[in-house]
Amino acid sequence: MNDSTSKDETQSWFEKRGNVRTLIGVLIVACIGLAVADLFYENDHAHFPIEKSFAFQAWFGFVVFVVIVFLGVALRPIIKRSEDYYDR
Amino acid sequence: MIDSLKHLPPGFIMMLGALLLPMLGRRLSAAAALVLSLLSLGLFCAMPAGEFGQLELFGNQLNLVRIDRLSFIFGLIFHLAAVIASIYALHVQDTKQHIAAMIYAGGAIAAACAGDFVTLFVFWELTALSSVVLVWATGTERSYRSGMRYLIVQVLSGVLLLSGALLQLNETGSLAFVHLAGDATSVLELSTGAKLILLAFGIKAAFPLLHNWLQDAYPEATATGTVFLSAFTTKLAIYSLARGFAGVEELIYIGCAMTLFPIVFAVIENDLRRVLAYSLNNQLGFMVVGIGIGTPLAINGAAVHAFCHIIYKALLFMSMGAVLHRVGTTKATELGGLHKSMPWTTGFCLIGAGSISGFPLLSGFISKSMIITAAGQEHLFWVWIVLLIASAGVMEHSGIKIPFFAFFAHDSGKRVKEAPLNMLIAMGLAAAMCIGLGIFYPLLYSLLPTEPMAMHHGHEEPYKPYTAAHVITMLQLLMFAVLAFVVLMTTKLYPSEVRATNLDTDWFYRKPLPWVLGSIGAAIGWFDKKVRAEFIDCGKSFIGRLADGFGEKGLMGGTWATNAMAFWAAMLLGIFLLIYYS
Repeated sequence: MNDSTSKDETQSWFEKRGNVRTLIGVLIVACIGLAVADLFYENDHAHFPIEKSFAFQAWFGFVVFVVIVFLGVALRPIIKRSEDYYDR
Repeated sequence: MIDSLKHLPPGFIMMLGALLLPMLGRRLSAAAALVLSLLSLGLFCAMPAGEFGQLELFGNQLNLVRIDRLSFIFGLIFHLAAVIASIYALHVQDTKQHIAAMIYAGGAIAAACAGDFVTLFVFWELTALSSVVLVWATGTERSYRSGMRYLIVQVLSGVLLLSGALLQLNETGSLAFVHLAGDATSVLELSTGAKLILLAFGIKAAFPLLHNWLQDAYPEATATGTVFLSAFTTKLAIYSLARGFAGVEELIYIGCAMTLFPIVFAVIENDLRRVLAYSLNNQLGFMVVGIGIGTPLAINGAAVHAFCHIIYKALLFMSMGAVLHRVGTTKATELGGLHKSMPWTTGFCLIGAGSISGFPLLSGFISKSMIITAAGQEHLFWVWIVLLIASAGVMEHSGIKIPFFAFFAHDSGKRVKEAPLNMLIAMGLAAAMCIGLGIFYPLLYSLLPTEPMAMHHGHEEPYKPYTAAHVITMLQLLMFAVLAFVVLMTTKLYPSEVRATNLDTDWFYRKPLPWVLGSIGAAIGWFDKKVRAEFIDCGKSFIGRLADGFGEKGLMGGTWATNAMAFWAAMLLGIFLLIYYS
């Protein structure tokens, strides 16, 4: 546990704003590419009709992620207690 | 030599060797533990398949060792986990932790190869008793209490297992650990003994509402102890469920619930090791769903997922253990920016995170997709949807939250050393296995209980994880989940981490139960005090009356004057005379 809490002035690659923007840009391009890729292959392993609809798992992944996070936000006020709740 | 050793439970070298560790001293015991794990692994691989170690106990046939394809794959991964975790713990100079870890790992291996319920029960309880030492080894009041709760739950599971086994013996006349469900597809059709055994397995597999010992105890163990804990107990339960209850329909729904509720708790949990414990619970859900579906592909899926899961979950716990070792905490609120000082740990953690999320070319992809396909093949639409939701959930807490808040996010300003070399080697090994299993998956598939076959256009063919549809749809799900995270972060809608305790089912036995028990105790105490006071009062007044009679001034106890004595003696003689002559 030999940590020093002095802030390091040098920023790493991941902390430079430009690089973060590039990463997000790459992500967006990748996502568009993955959605479009649906047009170029035949899903002959599909078990359900919805699997054959355009970019189903793409929008599903996005929506589910947001819903899960918001459910967490809604759950927090109900179950949140102070950190020493059980020690008191 | 194998001919005689095959009758001993696999893992016995680790269990017996553990007892010799104290003689080696603090420095050598860690290395000796690694040697024991490697020896045991070598011996296990040389074991022939079959049933050995037959004993008779009170006229009942016991079968100490059963090696078949299902027990072999679990025995193998338990050994590999023990080797990796032993390397990870090489720097630990606390002999008791090494002893506990070796007995724990050896016990889990022996339990997975047990052919009857009595042998299973013995090693089932041994894993409980040895593993709690890893929780207590933290040495805090908090870990002591948590370990106590853990122990009570684990021992209870063992007691249920034994009770169920005895009922089973009564009903069927056999103690053999076979497929208990038989032709039954519902819990309701099971015998009472089988139900109790299912409940015992369910506690260890962290079924919903029976789960909270896991999130309670695992994050309280030592940095190295949690790595051991994450591998054995719950997967032993998964093995036992697959052996005894494959095809029981309720398991599908129980599994679905297990994949869902932990992901919401994981979003708001601050302690990243506790997030991993919720994540573990979610992963077990996938396996339980597979066992519930019960088709050969689904059982294979559960087994292969358990195999891959043990490695990447250990890797994630190791990366967080390294953070705990260097920084002293795994609370997200205290961390951030550690990629600058722990680049290797960051890289290994990212591989574990990618693996658990199911990115192609990593191990989670080739295992999770098998269970999802098995659900699709049985046309279980809602189960399939739940598994997709759960996959996005895994991406949220294990894929993004763990690496992001520990190693990136806002810089906490903490500058620490990279993890010790032995930790890095262990993480490197696990990371290499995550990648290796993702690419050379046929090697792992060849070890499965049966060859995984999938239906394709009405005929069966070997299951292939890498089809265009599988890869693209999985990547769509994962990358759009990442995109959602980026959107929520940039719009500041993603909840910030806060220091807090989040309630879960443990609240019931940590708050109201002690209060109720305390009140009952107080009531009994009050009643007891009253009754005793009453008795003492009665006794006192009785003794008081006696004292009045027999005291020195009492009628019976006092001394009499001589003339009175002479008078009464004369009186008595006179009366005697009168009676004699009358």
